[in-house]
Amino acid sequence: MVSLVIPSDISFVVLTAVTIIGAIIALQAKELIYGAIALAISFIGIAGFFALLDAPYLAMLQIAIYVGAVVVLILFTIMLVRRERGEEMDKRTDAAEGSMGLWLAGLLALAISGVVALAGTSLPTQAPAASLPVSDLGPALTLQYPVPLIILALLLSAALLGALVLAKVER
Amino acid sequence: MVTLASYLIVSAALLGIGVYGLSVKRNAIRILFAVEVIVNAANLNFAAFTRYMNPPQVSGQIIVFYSIAAAAMEAAVGLALILVAFRLNSTIDVRKLNKLKG
Amino acid sequence: MVVFPPTTPAELIALILRVITSHTFITIIIFPGFIHLTLVVIFLTWYERKLLARIQLRIGPLYAGGPGGILQPLADGVKLIFKEVMIPYKASKPLFLGIPLMMVFLSALPFAVIPFGQHWVIANIDVGLVFVFAMTSLFPSMILIFAWASNSKYPFLGGLRSLFQQVAYEIPMWISTLSVVLLAGSLNLVDIVKAQEKMWFIVPAFLSFIVFFIAIMAELERLPFDLPEAEPELVAGWYTEASGAIFMLIFMGLYMKLYLMSSLVTVLFLGGWWGPAFLPQPVWFIIKTLIVATFIIIPRGVYPRIRVDMLIKTGWTRLLIIALANIFLTILLINSGLLAAWGI
Repeated sequence: MVSLVIPSDISFVVLTAVTIIGAIIALQAKELIYGAIALAISFIGIAGFFALLDAPYLAMLQIAIYVGAVVVLILFTIMLVRRERGEEMDKRTDAAEGSMGLWLAGLLALAISGVVALAGTSLPTQAPAASLPVSDLGPALTLQYPVPLIILALLLSAALLGALVLAKVER
Repeated sequence: MVTLASYLIVSAALLGIGVYGLSVKRNAIRILFAVEVIVNAANLNFAAFTRYMNPPQVSGQIIVFYSIAAAAMEAAVGLALILVAFRLNSTIDVRKLNKLKG
Repeated sequence: MVVFPPTTPAELIALILRVITSHTFITIIIFPGFIHLTLVVIFLTWYERKLLARIQLRIGPLYAGGPGGILQPLADGVKLIFKEVMIPYKASKPLFLGIPLMMVFLSALPFAVIPFGQHWVIANIDVGLVFVFAMTSLFPSMILIFAWASNSKYPFLGGLRSLFQQVAYEIPMWISTLSVVLLAGSLNLVDIVKAQEKMWFIVPAFLSFIVFFIAIMAELERLPFDLPEAEPELVAGWYTEASGAIFMLIFMGLYMKLYLMSSLVTVLFLGGWWGPAFLPQPVWFIIKTLIVATFIIIPRGVYPRIRVDMLIKTGWTRLLIIALANIFLTILLINSGLLAAWGI
């Protein structure tokens, strides 16, 4: 019988490529709007990772909130903050700063990868066969962690009011 | 085979890219992109750990849930700040936005 | 016996026959999949024009061929394919050409989780409703990008209005479905339909049905929420600069979204595929969906347009409050045990 299941290794490699290349293009593209679209693609890649990690609810939430709301906000701000089309606000950074940034980022990533490699065999290599059903999230949110939920609600109201007050035009 | 270590290395790479963007770029909106990339790297880390633990825990997914919500809020407020800064100084180059007045 | 990889022509033919008659192939390509969607979308364009014509005391398309002008969409498609695709000056070509394709793709993708019958669903995932939510939340951003990529005033203004409208009405739309999720106890669309075996959810969740219906009419940019394409003001709104094949893709995307929203109403409130047994289940589903689509199309010929500030105010304040209040009412209703006779 023909098997139509794509092995998870290929999806992992493809998703890694999509996410990392999207993040790089988001920071390096000359036009901000292309950068925002690349960032959206990178977010979809991360959502794919969540789906691969048996957290489908988180994957859908990631797409709905990040790509559906945050990217819209970013695009909207970019359109309001430009003078005319085609003007780049990000001129070439000088070589010294660029290379310093690369060294910093490279060393940080290498340090963390080194820690991971040193941990070696103490990290599990096979995921446990049973994964959490989606219906476990609800009781955990409301019964086990109710205080962070209320704090999140208060924080959301504060952020909403703050953004409204900040962006209000003084007449 | 995909192990926990591979997810952690991808997360570390994303962290590196985000830190590069945070430290080198001058456009405030690009810095916001970099911050979002870093937060996503951290979310990926949490989600990977919560899957590979034995027995599976739900607290990792709860943390990611809150992290997504908090990062969305922070992006909204950050963008409002960028709008106000642009209105007052006509620029969003962070090198020029270094006066506390205004 | 089917052997992979095939070595003789007979084995190849056996393999092809086995793949074509497998359930996966049929659901993806034929029934709630590719061919069915395309045919229904083409039918809906004709249906809308005929229906609006009868409301306005006209006859509608008649001469394109076939009984009642049923080949009119075919004629439209051929005309649009042969038209020149004009890309505006300094518009961004990859975005201009790529976004309509993405729109059609995104309109068709949620059909993978909508159950047309008890075994006629392509992907029975546990978070089906949130999947549809995530896919439809991608629309406003694509409209904004397309409107910006057109590099011209009217599409941009239309795109901004459309963005405000769709973002404002997304929230009441999805909060009103929470009552349905509470009644059914699951986010899985197949489970939601199965829980409606004895009583359709339109009865206990009537208020949320009303809110959902109004919200999807605003999401689909149909009259009376037609402002993003207000003809006297904005030419054609955010797709003004689209011509030829690009317009055909956007048009198909819009009608596919109409079909998607109608089938969501059927799944969530009207009992999905349940009906007396003399017709097969998918037929009941399609009949109910077409009835809902009719009720979405009719106001287009009847009501005047709503002003933009009233529109956005209604979405953010009135509809949201009704949707939230309805969640509490539903919780009260479930806990009071009145619905125990129907298995809720």
